[in-house]
Amino acid sequence: MEGLGLMSVLFPKWMNAFPTVSAAVAVGGLTSAVLGTYYWATPDFWEVGYMPTQPGAGFNHQLHAGTLGMDCRYCHTNVEDSAHANVPTVSTCMGCHTDGKLAPEYDPGVELVGFIRDAYAEDESIPWRKVHSLPGYVGNFPHHMHIQAGVSCYSCHGQLRGMPVVYQAESLSMGWCLDCHRNVEDHIVGPSKVTDLVWVEEHLADRARNGNNATPEAQAIIDALHASHAEGGPQNCGACHH
Amino acid sequence: MSVINPDQIDAQRLAGMRPDASRGDIDPALGDGSLVDDPALRPPLVLNGRDFHDVTEIVCGYTEKAPGWWWFHALGFAATVAGPAQNMIHYLIITGVGVWGLNNQVDWAWDITNFVFWIGIGHAGTLISAILCLLKQEWRTAVNRSAEAMTIFAVVCAGIFPGIHVGRVWFAWMLFPIPNYNWIWPNFRSPLLWDVFAVSTYATVSALFWYMGLIPDLATLRDRAHRRLQRGESQNMKLRLALPIPFPVLTMPFKGDTLRAYIYGFLALGWRFSGTHWFRYEKAYLILAGISTPLVLSVHSIVSFDFATSILPGWHTTIFPPYFVAGAVFGGFAMVLLLLIPLRELLPNMKDLLTLRHLELMAKILLVTGMMVGFAYGMEFFIAWYGANQFEWYAFIGNRANPETAPYWWAYYTMIFCNVVTPQLFWVKKFRQNPIIIWIVALFVTVGMWFERFVIIVTSLHRAFLPGEWHMFYPTWVDILTFVGSIGIFLTLFLLFVRFLPIFPIAELKAVMPGASPHDHEHHDDDHSDDQGDAPAKEGAH
Repeated sequence: MEGLGLMSVLFPKWMNAFPTVSAAVAVGGLTSAVLGTYYWATPDFWEVGYMPTQPGAGFNHQLHAGTLGMDCRYCHTNVEDSAHANVPTVSTCMGCHTDGKLAPEYDPGVELVGFIRDAYAEDESIPWRKVHSLPGYVGNFPHHMHIQAGVSCYSCHGQLRGMPVVYQAESLSMGWCLDCHRNVEDHIVGPSKVTDLVWVEEHLADRARNGNNATPEAQAIIDALHASHAEGGPQNCGACHH
Repeated sequence: MSVINPDQIDAQRLAGMRPDASRGDIDPALGDGSLVDDPALRPPLVLNGRDFHDVTEIVCGYTEKAPGWWWFHALGFAATVAGPAQNMIHYLIITGVGVWGLNNQVDWAWDITNFVFWIGIGHAGTLISAILCLLKQEWRTAVNRSAEAMTIFAVVCAGIFPGIHVGRVWFAWMLFPIPNYNWIWPNFRSPLLWDVFAVSTYATVSALFWYMGLIPDLATLRDRAHRRLQRGESQNMKLRLALPIPFPVLTMPFKGDTLRAYIYGFLALGWRFSGTHWFRYEKAYLILAGISTPLVLSVHSIVSFDFATSILPGWHTTIFPPYFVAGAVFGGFAMVLLLLIPLRELLPNMKDLLTLRHLELMAKILLVTGMMVGFAYGMEFFIAWYGANQFEWYAFIGNRANPETAPYWWAYYTMIFCNVVTPQLFWVKKFRQNPIIIWIVALFVTVGMWFERFVIIVTSLHRAFLPGEWHMFYPTWVDILTFVGSIGIFLTLFLLFVRFLPIFPIAELKAVMPGASPHDHEHHDDDHSDDQGDAPAKEGAH
């Protein structure tokens, strides 16, 4: 019947390539979509490196925590005791930076700390901008429990002793949280060492290279977590979400 | 537009211009001639002495000629009903699942009722195309295409509800095991996840089966359009409004048959009716039938696991899988009959291809599966009593059957009346051979099967173990419009199918006609009692 040669009447010869080409486009498009999502649609791409400009002359963590060797908890007083990790009040800054308190050779001068003194004089807060922000649906993040379990500041905030301006060093994605909750032995250093950031950085790098080097204090916590019902950090939805 | 108007065949036959062996000497007791009681005789599957060409003309005529007035009205009505459902879904997504009547106790209600209802309706198509194919039930050829289409449209409707009932639909991708940055993974121990795979597999295989069967018929439509173009019988495409509003008829600068030839030609995937094509087609058909057969049983079994694996009295029942499958076939055949009986009246000459015997056979399936469902209802009470679990006993007696204590007793008795009582009419031959009675019973069964799911879901949930938690469910207008709208979506899709695709498998229909039998030339009357068992020779159809 007429149908026998009909396809060649209706469609040009290059249409023979249509199935191949459309399959290639479909496979290629799917692959690009998967790889593109994998690369771009992640907190690793969008969040890491977030470095907001702080009010006034800012605050130099490298100078205070690194060069001067101040302990984190001198300013961030509640991190061990409160679910919410606080930034210091103006009066904490004024403990050192009241006019005339530091010897002249250490005084950074009014151009660097004048905004602190002005805020103090006017009884106002300094609007520090939050760097590490968890999404609203993470309703339960107890900061103190992490410190008490011996997770160092370094594990989440990076090497603050080397940061003139603080930026977000880790993605804070859910997978990143779960990575640690499922592998607590890779990150716990013990409560007594959490703020010793230079030591922690070397210690954890050594642990990643050469295997377990946990201190007895850290090992006790790791063993307790492994023996717990969650076999690590809690991983049920309600542990972090409402 | 076609060469021969199928309606003309009857006219020609009446005028003596066509040979008609069968008409005139049909015994009135045989209905339209297909209701043969003698088991030694094979009743004809195509009536009125139609030959192969007639069948092609009738089936292709449904898509090639302008549809009857009823089609526009029906489509307009169905689409109008479907419209609000889209708005309700948008409203739900924007606002949240609180716009439904759900509460803390009844957290599944009409959404999952509608899901199970629609997915159940989809079962008839696969049963007809797969199991009846393997069992060599030749009568299936008259209904399989439309039943398969109905299956797919029902699965479309079913897919809406679980998708939107999660509330945050933009997280629906979490249903699938996709590697993701949250490091979370679906819970493979949950039957809700098995459901995702069962339903998506079912939708995929049904769509493949349906499309593969369509290919030869799409090629027929392509060739016919092309032949009309070559003979210069085609006219330019005209667009007119199907409303009584004065509106100029738009004449398009191309011929309608050109469009048909290209679209059907594209969809026909280069089919040329060669022997090799048919050989591969038959093999693929058998393979797909083999794949689909376990799916008929698995899908609704897994849907029933959503309930049966929980500990809620009324759900925690081992009879659920077979009970759900029987109910699904029951509801599916009811929907096939609900759609095809009116269609048989509305489309010209369809009664020659879909005979009273087809309807009677499907009515018998309704009777059988209705009895299975009735047995399951009874067995639930027996096990509740025999198991001596006071919660289960209360779930069935106190929450369903006893009007004194059960607020939803009316739903339970509606279900019993529609699903168990009305199909008993089919014990009487007169009733199961009467299309109007079959249609009414099918309507009752469809209503009853919706109530069955409502009874299972809502009456079990609304009173769990602690009386302090007891809570009634009242649907909101959003619930109602979404469900009614899903019927509109279903009907809209089916009406479009009736208009644009061949609603009978032309080649398969020809294969079960006497002319396909190698012995056909030996006796040309309609007494082809020994012909039907022979292997169909489909190449002969062309």
